[in-house]
Amino acid sequence: MVEIARYGRKGEMGSKSLMVTTVLLCSLAIAACGGNQDKKSNNKKGEVAQSGVPSRDPFPSTYQPYMSEVTLIKGATILTATGEQIEDGSILLADGKISAVGTAKDVKTPKDARVIDAAGKWVTPGIIDIHSHLGVYPSPGNASTADGNELTNPNTAEVWAEHSVWPQDPGFTRALAGGITSLQILPGSGNLFGGRTVTLKNVPARSVQDMKFPSAPYGLKMACGENPKRVYASRGPATRMANFSHYRKAWIDAAEYNKKWKKYEAGLEKSNGEGDDKANAPKRDLKLETLAGVLNGEIVVNMHCYRADEMVQVLDMAKEFGYKVSAFHHAVEAFKVADYLAENEVCAAIWADWWGFKLEAYDSVRENAALVHAQEGGCTIVHSDDPTGIQRLNQEAGKAMADGQRIGLDISEKEAIAWITANPAKVMGVLEQTGTLEEGKMADIVLWSRNPFSVYAKAEKVFIDGALMFDRSVPSLSPRTDFEIGQQENGYVGGAGQ
Amino acid sequence: MINTKNFFFKTAKAEKSNPVSSGNPVSFGNMRSGVGKLAIMASLLTASSLMTGMTTITRAAAQTVAVMDGQVHTVTGSIIEGGDIIIRDGKITEVGANLSAPAGATIIDATGKFVTPGIIAPHSTLGLSEVGAVADSNDTRPNNNFPLGASLDAADGFNPASSLIAINRAGGVTRAVSVPSAGGSLFGGQSILVDLTGKNNSLIKRSVSQSVLIGGGGTGRAGGTKLGVWAILRETLAEAQTYANNPAGYRQLSSDGRYKVSDLAALRPVIEGRQPLLVSVDRAADIRNVIRLKNDYGLKIVIVSGREAWREARALAAANIPVILDPLANLPSDFDTIGSTLKNAAFLNQAGVVIGFYGPQSGTHNLRLLPQLAGNAVAEGLPYDAALKALTLNPAKIYGIDTDLGTIEVGKIADIVVWDGDPLEITTRVSDVVINGVAQSLDNRQQHLLERYKDLDRGDKPHPFRGGN
Repeated sequence: MVEIARYGRKGEMGSKSLMVTTVLLCSLAIAACGGNQDKKSNNKKGEVAQSGVPSRDPFPSTYQPYMSEVTLIKGATILTATGEQIEDGSILLADGKISAVGTAKDVKTPKDARVIDAAGKWVTPGIIDIHSHLGVYPSPGNASTADGNELTNPNTAEVWAEHSVWPQDPGFTRALAGGITSLQILPGSGNLFGGRTVTLKNVPARSVQDMKFPSAPYGLKMACGENPKRVYASRGPATRMANFSHYRKAWIDAAEYNKKWKKYEAGLEKSNGEGDDKANAPKRDLKLETLAGVLNGEIVVNMHCYRADEMVQVLDMAKEFGYKVSAFHHAVEAFKVADYLAENEVCAAIWADWWGFKLEAYDSVRENAALVHAQEGGCTIVHSDDPTGIQRLNQEAGKAMADGQRIGLDISEKEAIAWITANPAKVMGVLEQTGTLEEGKMADIVLWSRNPFSVYAKAEKVFIDGALMFDRSVPSLSPRTDFEIGQQENGYVGGAGQ
Repeated sequence: MINTKNFFFKTAKAEKSNPVSSGNPVSFGNMRSGVGKLAIMASLLTASSLMTGMTTITRAAAQTVAVMDGQVHTVTGSIIEGGDIIIRDGKITEVGANLSAPAGATIIDATGKFVTPGIIAPHSTLGLSEVGAVADSNDTRPNNNFPLGASLDAADGFNPASSLIAINRAGGVTRAVSVPSAGGSLFGGQSILVDLTGKNNSLIKRSVSQSVLIGGGGTGRAGGTKLGVWAILRETLAEAQTYANNPAGYRQLSSDGRYKVSDLAALRPVIEGRQPLLVSVDRAADIRNVIRLKNDYGLKIVIVSGREAWREARALAAANIPVILDPLANLPSDFDTIGSTLKNAAFLNQAGVVIGFYGPQSGTHNLRLLPQLAGNAVAEGLPYDAALKALTLNPAKIYGIDTDLGTIEVGKIADIVVWDGDPLEITTRVSDVVINGVAQSLDNRQQHLLERYKDLDRGDKPHPFRGGN
């Protein structure tokens, strides 16, 4: 893997080596092509280590890249999401990875490579949605399938979204046709602590483990404001001040829990694993285990928060307890505190223009994304929170870019593409693997019919780890879920791209 | 539909929003609690509903405006390069190339720009709702146990001062039909046509349509089945017919008092085939039943949502039934919408069905996104000129106002929008709006918020001193 822990903004990446490395040819005949090299955990499912220290990964990813062939996409306009736009560019996919990217003359065509002439077309990294409820609020939506909000307690940090994800949600296929290659699924926002999020690769699968993004950290969904106080109006927290008291009490408990386990683990280390360790292990508490994971920096905080003043309060709370908030989601008022967010290195995950459905979404400006981006160190993410919106994140980013340009901000496609690729990847902790078009990264790639910041642009081909998972021109390369197969006459409906 | 973006959070899926319902009747938080207020309004209702039928669509506007040198899409089948439009006293008086601006005219330079008729939103709640989840600002829908339905009149709740009007005007929307949503009844009530000047006289026409829930949204109001929906619907229409035959003698004929006279009176223009009935329906089988209903009762029907309408495209064209649809709806949200497809608009248009657009996802707050919906329909095979028609002329046709609105033609009311690029493109924005022949301000609340916060420097005074009034 090459360098790049940095994400593309304002061209700061500068020039980049475009050397073609030795390409391990991966022909169609080699079935094991592109194995699961990223798998970190060796835990078997449900295994508890001998020491009594619980597994950090009891439901490990079993995702494996699908079969791919060496492919050269040639002559396209390439947005790398590192701040570069390459005209007449080529990108080489081999062994599930990006093997080379550069101008057409710099990228050599390996023998036996499949060559796609992409003149007039555009290439971007696979689109990443940091905020989706696909699978937990699937289609069809009814009492049988609504599994996204555990509204039984304001703190349900113990629930994990992956245990609700229905891999057969047709929404995944529609998102794929919109270029989505990775996405974070979150619990809903009815609770202060909604539970753990899960990051998926957008591949059709039989189990959610088969979709889990290898080595992606867990996230914690938290929520500010109106939703929790409305849901718990009769039981409490019924006010914003009670929201905060509940958060803080939980962090105090989590710190205590953390201390106990740290002491136990230190003891284990000291005794070199001898003695009756398991008997002395503190009792596990799934709720506090998740919160302790945040305090230890292992779990990423995604906080649903609309109002500017609440975001500022949340950041003070994070300082009080020593954890980091990585992104405010639905941050409709981010533009009011864009400087403060940048100083605190928090991303604002937002819609381009949705507003007014509740009071905390009333103060909206269409320039929100651009104003956040324009701050020195500002980080904009465009998200969907919606099974229709996720199909067109490119359009949402395009609108937000255009609105920024109109107030004189210097934002072009090569920067705005990061709002739906590199920036969400950074927050989701997968930027080293995906989110930009750089040598060595997963070949998560979208070939667009034209400039993706156009209403007329279509994702023509979508590659995930180099495997062609969607091809608009080939009906057999349009996955259809179990729910939709065989329903009525399916000529025009029921699959990706329909 | 109160607002389509799932107000609060995803409790039950509200991805498919039934246009006349608020979605799940057992949704969280009682969004509507203004029973007392509505009851008072209801008592005023009989009087107000007698005043329906204001037909004056325009108002005198003593202004001469010249839109010069644009690419004029007249929506009559022609595109005039370097086209000029002369507007006098609210009406279009000349359209062509190389015209001269009259002396003293307000000149709008459209050089290098696109010019279209104003966008008409055929299905919205404009002026009825300011903030979806704030009950006192939301008059779109009564509680589920509220007894009246068809007689409810959007005119009684319309607020021309709503901030949504200026915001959507700045996005090129010049007219909207505002449709109340059904509470406990299958019927939503009477819609209004408004212009987006935001003036006190912007309510242009009352009682332009009635609405009813036939599909999934109706079953919860009819004992839980579609059988119940159809039984209630037929019974109601029969009762409305009885009432219409002899309004004065109706009380004597009425056997059990289940029907409110005000509701039956409101259904009279519907049963007489004079007023469009907006039918919210998705499943192809239900749509076939709706076509039969139209023929049996001689109704004027408009389908709203119509996810599977494409399956009955030819029958709908033959029955002259327009469809107001969401071109982005492609998920099987429930068992009425298995056949959802992005091709719906293209297939219906190809069969000759008059289509219009609405956006349950973005809702009335974002009627300004209607061009984006149209652009997506074009990307899925709808011809460009058909998409432009669906934004302008078709809504005018659906509501019978196309002799006055919907195209750029001599004699029509001058609702004109100038765009800085292809109007269907997401990166395009509006540069000028003319309504009733008067150049409009594009100023709005969001613009003031932007002015206030685009510079975050602490300054000499706090931010509330900035950004105008």
